[in-house]
Amino acid sequence: MNTFSSIKELLSTLKREHELLTEMFEKRKSLSYKYDFALELVDFDEERIQYLINHSVIRQNGTYLEIDDQFLQFFEMVLEVNEEINISYINENIQNVKQNILYYLQENSENRKYNYLRAVKAAFRKIGLITLRNVVDLKRNVENTFKNEPNYKVKKAKLENLDRKRIDINSLIDQTERLISEEEQTFFRSALDEELKQIVTDTRLQLNDCRHNLIEIQKQVIEYLNQIKYQSGIIEKIRQIKYLKDQFEIRSKTNLIEAFAKNNAVIFEPNPSYQFKLSLNYLQTDDVAYESIKKVSRRVKQGVRFDLPIAENISDEYLETRIEEEIQVNLEEVKNGFVASGKHLFEFVMGYDFAKEIPFDERVTIYCQLASQYEAVFNVTEKFNAQREIEYAVVYPR
Amino acid sequence: MQIPKQTAEIFETLSKGQFICSNSSSDTTRRLYDLIDEYYDDLYEYFQGINFVLERGDEYFYFSRAESKVDMERKIEAAFKWIDILDFLKTFDNSFGSGFRFTPADIQVKLNIDAELKTKLDGLKKHGGGKERYDEIIEKVLDLLAKDNFIEIENIISNTYKVLASFDYLEKLVMAINIPEEVKNEIPE
Repeated sequence: MNTFSSIKELLSTLKREHELLTEMFEKRKSLSYKYDFALELVDFDEERIQYLINHSVIRQNGTYLEIDDQFLQFFEMVLEVNEEINISYINENIQNVKQNILYYLQENSENRKYNYLRAVKAAFRKIGLITLRNVVDLKRNVENTFKNEPNYKVKKAKLENLDRKRIDINSLIDQTERLISEEEQTFFRSALDEELKQIVTDTRLQLNDCRHNLIEIQKQVIEYLNQIKYQSGIIEKIRQIKYLKDQFEIRSKTNLIEAFAKNNAVIFEPNPSYQFKLSLNYLQTDDVAYESIKKVSRRVKQGVRFDLPIAENISDEYLETRIEEEIQVNLEEVKNGFVASGKHLFEFVMGYDFAKEIPFDERVTIYCQLASQYEAVFNVTEKFNAQREIEYAVVYPR
Repeated sequence: MQIPKQTAEIFETLSKGQFICSNSSSDTTRRLYDLIDEYYDDLYEYFQGINFVLERGDEYFYFSRAESKVDMERKIEAAFKWIDILDFLKTFDNSFGSGFRFTPADIQVKLNIDAELKTKLDGLKKHGGGKERYDEIIEKVLDLLAKDNFIEIENIISNTYKVLASFDYLEKLVMAINIPEEVKNEIPE
């Protein structure tokens, strides 16, 4: 593996491959930057990619490429987009300050003392900056996690971790404060340097700022955690209720009835429909109402249908069964009687004992009926008799 | 007592058992919300005179009564329906709640990869008015929710629905049911 021999070489390499690196940096989250894509960006010059790989600016992972962690971190830190909150830097710087102060106090040579003093100043400046950046990152991360993490359990764990980081940062701030105001008093009194004072004051201001921000972040995290707890509580509850409902146990095992007895929201009621009568005054005075009446009236007229006249009910009287008796003369029987009698027909009919009283003229009719109906079996003679102004033929049985 | 001139409009909506939410996409509803918010005390008193209680939820208003007008069975029936639907929607997306946006197509896509969701949708058939096809059942269920003002169509072209603040009411309703500790232990994880 090669290393860059000078900063010039490093910068010129980065400059030359800025297109590829920019592209890869933008896609760093997807973790799947294909070798083939990279080739296109370096004009299909495999050597250029190989050069980057050799100097461990990028690493090859099968057919994929990724920016080396070292560079990635550097870019992220400088561009202030890093997601990792690294507290160790602050801690390191605090240790650094302590060591340099120790060296400073023990060194006699002014020149070297000055160097140590410079190191302390640089460390303080860094502490302030890094802490502030960490706080900003923390805040962004908390928000991102809450808004973008889909899995509730992971979200909760992440937020709790971030909260732990917050506590760590807080304790480091305290440590720095203590270092300035309590532990290393001798140094700050003896090192009479205007710039140092200025830097320390600036750092303290920055740290103060950080502390305020951290309080806000803490509030935020607590609120987010509570919301998650509430949300996952709801989901859990719904699942339990649904289970009980599906088991048909919900009424007996929960206070469902009681809870709903108290709830009188209108949403449970069927949609109301109001059937009010029209105002008479309105109907009589309003032009619009008049128009409507005319419209309705037209419609009613169009649909006029005369009722078909309907017959009255048949009176029950007509439906009653009545018996009427009439006595009919059985001509056949009369004939049979006549054949056996030996009398002539007219005499026989006049003397026949009918079931009812039959007057003379009706008996004459019966005589005529018999004579015409049974002409074939009778012997109608040429002899005529007369009785009561009626002249009749004498008829005997044949 | 001073009441806004839109009181009739407010009454019309609320007396149908609907909600007035602050995050509605309709300007009119949002204006009504602001008005109720501003005149809350006066309106409360006013509606109390006609036996309605103006209730304030988290970013929404609704009516309730001082005493019940519906029988228990009807309430429980409605509650059961909502429990089924809530369970389905929360399975669809854990974060389903006020402000959530979705399309019926999203649910259908999820159906293909989530067997549990599919079973739950099958269970919703009874609220689907005899429909058999999944998309029709989903549509029917969403209609039910939209009718009661829990969600509303935000974009007709993309068929995007938005969950309204009133959804919180459903969640609260379920949260109000108390499961005793020993019963909780019987429920499998």
